[in-house]
Amino acid sequence: MADRLTIDATDLRKRYGAVDALCGLALGVPAGSIYGFLGRNGAGKTTTLKVLLGMARPDAGEARVFGLDATKEAASVDIRRRTAFVSEEKDLYDYMTVDEMIHFTSSFYPRWRKDLAARYRRTFDLPGDRKGKALSRGTRTKLALLLALCRGAELLILDEPTSGLDPAVSEEVLQALVSYVDSAETTVFFSSHQIAEVDQIADHVTIVDRGRAIVQGALDDVRARYRSIQLVFDGDAPAVTFRAPGVVRAWREHRVLTVLSSAGADEIVDEARGLNPVSVTVTPLTLKDIFLETVMKEK
Amino acid sequence: MIFRPNPALGVPIYLQLMEQVKHAVETGALRAGEQLPGIRPLAEQLVINPNTVAKAYRELEHEGIIELRHGAGAFVAAGARTKDLADRVRAGQAAVRQMVERLRARGLSDDEIRRFVEAELAGLNQATGGRRG
Amino acid sequence: MLWYKAWLETRSRFVIGLALLFVMACGVVFTYRTVQELIPLASSLGQSGGALGRLVSESAAIESTYRGYVWWQWFRQNLCQTWTLFALLLGTGGLTLQGTRGGALYTLSLPTSRTRLLAVRAGTGLAELAVLAFIPSIVITLLSPTIGQSYSVGDVLVHGLCLFVAGAAVFCLTVFFSTQFADAWSPALLALIVVVVQSAAEFVLPTLRPYTLFRTMSGESYLLDGALPWAGLLVSVTASAVLLLAADRNLRRRDF
Repeated sequence: MADRLTIDATDLRKRYGAVDALCGLALGVPAGSIYGFLGRNGAGKTTTLKVLLGMARPDAGEARVFGLDATKEAASVDIRRRTAFVSEEKDLYDYMTVDEMIHFTSSFYPRWRKDLAARYRRTFDLPGDRKGKALSRGTRTKLALLLALCRGAELLILDEPTSGLDPAVSEEVLQALVSYVDSAETTVFFSSHQIAEVDQIADHVTIVDRGRAIVQGALDDVRARYRSIQLVFDGDAPAVTFRAPGVVRAWREHRVLTVLSSAGADEIVDEARGLNPVSVTVTPLTLKDIFLETVMKEK
Repeated sequence: MIFRPNPALGVPIYLQLMEQVKHAVETGALRAGEQLPGIRPLAEQLVINPNTVAKAYRELEHEGIIELRHGAGAFVAAGARTKDLADRVRAGQAAVRQMVERLRARGLSDDEIRRFVEAELAGLNQATGGRRG
Repeated sequence: MLWYKAWLETRSRFVIGLALLFVMACGVVFTYRTVQELIPLASSLGQSGGALGRLVSESAAIESTYRGYVWWQWFRQNLCQTWTLFALLLGTGGLTLQGTRGGALYTLSLPTSRTRLLAVRAGTGLAELAVLAFIPSIVITLLSPTIGQSYSVGDVLVHGLCLFVAGAAVFCLTVFFSTQFADAWSPALLALIVVVVQSAAEFVLPTLRPYTLFRTMSGESYLLDGALPWAGLLVSVTASAVLLLAADRNLRRRDF
């Protein structure tokens, strides 16, 4: 995988009225990756996507796509020439038919792939002369996906691609995304609150909560780093502040002290042995565990 | 032939894939010299990340189970790996059976035994973390 | 293909406007006989005095000729009012209204600037309004011979021009409001209020008469003196340009 960052954002801040949607969000998406952007509803995922696409302007911070400044109008048009976006609502034109939408979209992209469009039209079974407003959610998603995949785009940005879809259609969508990534020339960046699909196809992940990125990195690394360390004591568990770094959270319940660590579990265990616990158990965490633990009681 | 890996198991997908290939070789579903599915077609079929498949194949090559022929694809390595594997599997199963019986005799429940094993494996992975790319 | 999209979005309104105006134009021609008979009666009523009396006398005087009649009924009233209504209706729409469900996010993800999107929307609306300003009036020229009258194409062109150039400001005002408010009716309603207020202004400040919208749109000075209402047209063109620039600025600053 290339070292190039397709998306590079630092310290993004955005406030809507009284709500802080983004509070210093940083993001680095390597070229050629399938990047999962995971967070609860209202965590700031959609706002981030809108900033990257020039639909909203951040109050502070920098956002670069393909090295271009996403907050500058002219650069933003260039970015969109090489990017495809699928919104959460699979927003399309009610009054255009499927064929009209395909024809309309293709006129903006000189690299439009007619062959792919014909193939997807067949495999997705899209009714050519049905208007946008008469399409079911699943069909609309597939059309939105076709329009995104046939542009010859270097970057696909999708906002909750499988929301509201049944498992079969979801799998079709994920499969189309997996087949789109081809060497370091194409990157897929999708936001989701479904951990299972991030687990399934992503190789990098950022967990965002309350406008900030709290977990970031290659998915395998993240899973290798996070550990749950359970210490059982003879009497009540002591209140301890660990010197070793990497402690995300620690909580006590009677004789049990549980520590959630994001790195350096070995050092924490060494320090913990100094407290003379009866037993020390280190267990790995699934992405779901990591997600729930890190966003549940953030400060 | 290859089943969908389950991300929720807590075991990395590439490891699950490797286990499946080893199992296929061991049971004779895959024989020496036979070709494995290509990385991208397999990724599409299982709906997982192509990099994950690539990693599994690299590790399998490192362990000598398959060979990656440049431009041609992945093939099951020639040699007596199949028999070795079957022998090691049998020995491993015997060892585990003994250990489990001993621990049960000491009064530990199956759940406790399972947790110890997982923790030990996780601890082991951490120690050798630098080696695995 | 942005023009095609804009056409699809405004097509219904345009066609309804065109059909309505065609029917009204026919009506103007075929009710001439009836009105002609009423004119002597109206003249005598007008003698009774008062503001209303003055208005009635004025209309009777102008309508005594066919050319005057057409102007009074069509360019001053029917066409002017109906056209203005459609200027309001066609000015509605655009990205701000289309929000999350109307396709705005899709449009904004395309490699095109917001300025261009606005320009296409405004261009389409103005082109449609130009058609509405000239074509239905041609019907009058074509049908007049059937009642033994004639109406010159030259008059159609001059009055149509005044209507379009002056009335474009109403369209641009609606477009401007449409970039401020996200609902369907506020922009048209606000623009209508502005139009009504400025219309009433001439009664408060008679010096404003040459500049007011409806008198300019109907080309009154051309009918009475043969001179185009240059002052009013200039004010309108300037206002249109300023309003579109303001609309562009609004759109470019907006967070979607």
